[in-house]
Amino acid sequence: MSNLVLFQLRKSTVALSAISKLNKTHIEIQFNFKYLVGQLSQRLQSTSSQVVVRENTKREQKRVVPPNYRHIYPEFLPDPNMEFRNSVREKLERTDMINRRSRIEIPEFYVGSILAVTSSDEHAVGKTTKFVGICIKREFCGLRANFTLRNVVDNLGVEIKYEMYDPRLQRVQVLRLEKRLDSELLYLRDADPEFSTFPFDMDAEFLNEGAPVPVNPLKVNLRPPPWYARWERLQPKGAIIPELRGRRKEKSEKWLEKFSEPWEKYDLMKQYRKTIPEEEQDSIYSDIYSELHQMEIASKKLKRKKAFVKPKKTG
Amino acid sequence: MNSFSSIKTLLSCSSLRSSTFLQQVRHKKYPLQPKIQNPIWFARKERATFDEQLTKENQAFVKEMVYAKYGPPAIIHGVETLDLSRSLLKQEPVVSGEWSPGIRRTGLIARKIGVYPMWMKDGKKVATTLLQVVDNYVIKYIPPEEYQASRKAPRRYKNEGKWGCLVVGAECCDPQKFTKEYCGLFKDSGVAPTKILSRFLVSPEAAIQPGTSLSPLHFKVGDHIDVFGRTKERGFQGVMKRWGFKGMPATHGVTKTHRRGGNIGQGGNKGRVFPGTKMPGWMGGRRRTLRGCQILRINTKFNVIFVKGQSVPGGQNSVVFLHDTLLPLKWRKTSPEAFPTYFPHLQEGDSLPVDIYHESVHNFADPSIMYEDEEVKDAKK
Repeated sequence: MSNLVLFQLRKSTVALSAISKLNKTHIEIQFNFKYLVGQLSQRLQSTSSQVVVRENTKREQKRVVPPNYRHIYPEFLPDPNMEFRNSVREKLERTDMINRRSRIEIPEFYVGSILAVTSSDEHAVGKTTKFVGICIKREFCGLRANFTLRNVVDNLGVEIKYEMYDPRLQRVQVLRLEKRLDSELLYLRDADPEFSTFPFDMDAEFLNEGAPVPVNPLKVNLRPPPWYARWERLQPKGAIIPELRGRRKEKSEKWLEKFSEPWEKYDLMKQYRKTIPEEEQDSIYSDIYSELHQMEIASKKLKRKKAFVKPKKTG
Repeated sequence: MNSFSSIKTLLSCSSLRSSTFLQQVRHKKYPLQPKIQNPIWFARKERATFDEQLTKENQAFVKEMVYAKYGPPAIIHGVETLDLSRSLLKQEPVVSGEWSPGIRRTGLIARKIGVYPMWMKDGKKVATTLLQVVDNYVIKYIPPEEYQASRKAPRRYKNEGKWGCLVVGAECCDPQKFTKEYCGLFKDSGVAPTKILSRFLVSPEAAIQPGTSLSPLHFKVGDHIDVFGRTKERGFQGVMKRWGFKGMPATHGVTKTHRRGGNIGQGGNKGRVFPGTKMPGWMGGRRRTLRGCQILRINTKFNVIFVKGQSVPGGQNSVVFLHDTLLPLKWRKTSPEAFPTYFPHLQEGDSLPVDIYHESVHNFADPSIMYEDEEVKDAKK
């Protein structure tokens, strides 16, 4: 009985894992690709084994799914935790999500974009409410996906969490499409109110088709502590942490010394565990690509129709 | 040589072995043997697998024989199993029992594949548990006169002698993985040996021919079912997590007692700790039943039943067992359409819809929920 050793190469990282079926040994190597192949072929030639090196053949094939789909539709990717994964449930969830999207246009948006959401409300006048705010957080995946909008209304900070697939949402409009330097903007709670205030009658700002999403390098001024949370620990790039004084300063420095993990950015396996592999992302999006693409085309047509103003005769 | 072989045969007899190898035992028998009260037909399932060193040709031949006997491997309704449509009868003989209130039908075996939200038509969000009815087959029917629940003297239980036992199996698989005795259980039905077996107490009128496949359409949308399964293991847990005790204050002079159980008895006349006193111990891994769950939706493509609620016992991808509810206020008053079960060949008319929703549930393909103005409502009336 010959050993069968299978190699899977992932495009995004240079991590390589070799699994021997009989011995059940697991080798993880993170080196330069050429050096890797050379080393392994040398070592494996010593044992009588059949080596199959399978590269990601899809790299050579023409890509059907655009590479930015994982940014536009991030909630279609399931939770990477293997404990919660089931292919049948994910398929059913995706079908339901597509069905909902066929009824409402959920546009591309990021944390830092300004949205206007119109939803059905039983207790409101006219049975609908409109809320405009900056998206400060996006959580979860699948039908549970939600986003939080923040605004300051009558000197009172208001945050509303909307479920993306809630059938009570009537319209989700992006007034300003942009990104910020952080993935969550919860520190706006302790910032000057001017950074969270957006007028309800704000006009939509248009971006050229195909233009990249702009990144707003704005640095928000935080008010002096006490705060809602210890923002200095998160080390946000989009906020200016004021000078801390005395014991508070000591404690924060101690905490950072003890708990900060400067090696985290080099931890490839941690990144691997937190994300869905690229091959799987491709297969997920290719399942639903045709429906999503059709919806995109339909929405573009609508936009052009609205933007088009019939020329009037003068004179 | 002869004498040696005769001694060997002597030693192989278990009854003689005890007399020839008498050993006085004064200590407790470790490892502690649990009391097993298995039914008479119980057979050991798993066998020690080892490298039998078969040639590739022989391995392929064995596989071929298995597929020839039962059917080829296939993914049916999203589950990896053997396609038994060729080996089993396509037209199941219908049992001529008639439904009357109090009759128990069979149950189903399902896997809890996840939980996701759905919305009702009035806008209320509801968590639904997805239970995938993996390929179920009826293996055996034991009439009430023959059915004996345990191997020891029959325990007196309510309505004994009234219920027969229907053995249902789920997830057909390669018989090489199991013992010969376990595979023997499936001989009469013609079904390939299944990974999961369960028994359901049924009335004799609701008996089903062995070999029949069961479908989630055995239940209807809006039905109430009981779901039982083994809960998640939580390990050795303290009294606060296990029994919901309140514990003691964190401050105000409380010494070394914040999560303990406190008093465990009264003293005096009884002067002992009563059996069953709530104390720390192993939590989880027990059989628990969630009663009266309503079915909100059935997906016929993947055989998935959507049940209202999220506290179905067991973790993700765990096995659960479903049957008509025993809650008196939710018993059936009218005959179920699928009695004794759903037979696809008896279904008249067009093919089934992929998704069957309850009338109160919002279908994602429908337009957004809008609330009507009161004036409009009154005008309609």
